[in-house]
Amino acid sequence: MGVTCVCQLPLAEGKSVQQTIDILHKKLEQLGAVKQGSFTVDCETYHATGNASGQPTKLLYVMHNSETPLSCLALFEGGPCLTADGNFDVLMIKLKSHFQNAKGHKVESRGSRYRYCDFLIKVGAVTMSSSARGISVEVEYCPCVVPGDCWNLMKEFMQSFLGPSIPELPSVFSSKPEGLYAPVDCVDTMTQYLELFGRVRKQQVLPGTTR
Amino acid sequence: MADAMNVGVNLEAFSQAITAIQALRSSVTRVFDSLKDGMKNKETLEGREKVFITEFQDNLQSVNRDLNELERLSTLVGRPSESHPLHNSGLLSLDPVQDKTPLYSQLLQAYKWSNKLQYHAGLASSLLNQQSLKRSANQMGASAKRRPKVQPSTLVLPPQYVDDVISRIGRMFPDMSIELFRPNGTSAVLLVTLGKVLKAVVVMRSLFIDRTIVRGFNENVHSEDGKLDIWSKSNYQVFQKVTDHATTALLHYQLPQMPDVVVRSFMTWLRSYIKLFQTPCQRCGKFLQEGLPPTWRDFRTLEAFHDTCRQ
Ligand SMILES: [Zn+2]
Repeated sequence: MGVTCVCQLPLAEGKSVQQTIDILHKKLEQLGAVKQGSFTVDCETYHATGNASGQPTKLLYVMHNSETPLSCLALFEGGPCLTADGNFDVLMIKLKSHFQNAKGHKVESRGSRYRYCDFLIKVGAVTMSSSARGISVEVEYCPCVVPGDCWNLMKEFMQSFLGPSIPELPSVFSSKPEGLYAPVDCVDTMTQYLELFGRVRKQQVLPGTTR
Repeated sequence: MADAMNVGVNLEAFSQAITAIQALRSSVTRVFDSLKDGMKNKETLEGREKVFITEFQDNLQSVNRDLNELERLSTLVGRPSESHPLHNSGLLSLDPVQDKTPLYSQLLQAYKWSNKLQYHAGLASSLLNQQSLKRSANQMGASAKRRPKVQPSTLVLPPQYVDDVISRIGRMFPDMSIELFRPNGTSAVLLVTLGKVLKAVVVMRSLFIDRTIVRGFNENVHSEDGKLDIWSKSNYQVFQKVTDHATTALLHYQLPQMPDVVVRSFMTWLRSYIKLFQTPCQRCGKFLQEGLPPTWRDFRTLEAFHDTCRQ
């Protein structure tokens, strides 16, 4: 597990989500990237209920990633996160009285996985309540573990198929005090997906952008 | 005349000498002509012989005269200047038809080229004599006849000495940790961890580096049974390339008499990969070429180049 950057790709001028994804796929294939299966990242939102002290309700996100099919990630809004076994979902049902599933808040990104040299590229359509709302691009540089070391290299790579609209160093890395060492689990990646889902959720549904 | 002498070649005498050669040739021809024609018809046999002999003597005398003249002139012509590196061929530059036939300039080029070739060949041979590429024990044994003692002794160094050399090298580079293992008898295996960039497994024979494998920092260096994995290559293309280059470096840094210098040079070279992902190519200025960062490090300057950008 190397250094990963997740970013949102703006739609191409006058194109739908699917059309923009197709353009990107073509660019990747021209570059020499090879398609290797597909991927899914999803996120369910839970409200913490029954807080006695009258604090504002905290949100709990439960996420799955097809790269780690046996585990599941639970992130507290602005708080700790934990990696659990896949059947954590069953536990959440049992904890219904404390955490309520916010129905209709389920977001997922689904798409193809490409490999180019030591890079792994995942282009996904972000859908919320069965409408396509945006595009996520995940780029992983597998051989390197220090984001600060390979960031310029990754930027150059992303420029080659995303054009000038490449992101800044993800805040998960820049906010780390020192070392910038990416852990072997995918918490950093999932945090980035969570941020992206949050942005997508807030953004207005523009006419013509849905499929 | 005196001025012409200064040039080294007396041109006037030269042309006179050529004329003298022509005269000599024609007088020699006359001698043989008269011999071929034999005695001409005369009234009496004595008369015939007398005329023939006189003619023959005259001819020989003129040959003698012409030869003397030529010899006299040849002293005037003088020797062509010895200092001219091309010797007589240098005179080609005096040829007025030079413009039409570039013979002289071609000759100069060929001369320079052969001079350079000789120089480089000399350098190469002295280098090759120093840095023998013979690495295995058997070959060492074979060459031991010529260079007794020095080489074989480096193969039977005491383990303690090897440990000392390695730990001294390890202390030289704070960003590089070198762990020493002896999984199979006395031969050491080094696990070199360079920053958070790479891990290299270096298999030693005494103080000689036998082979090396470079893997990513996040890759396993131990096989399932917990032993150091000295065989399987990296899953990442970038480290497969670095492994190839490291093997090249092992062949480059060879100094059989001073194996500790070789190990130190190799480690210095390996250490330049600390910025593997941070340094753009020194030739094309880019980070990536066909998806790979600059994986080559110059043996002397340690500058980073893409494999395709180095020369
Ligand atoms: Zn280059």
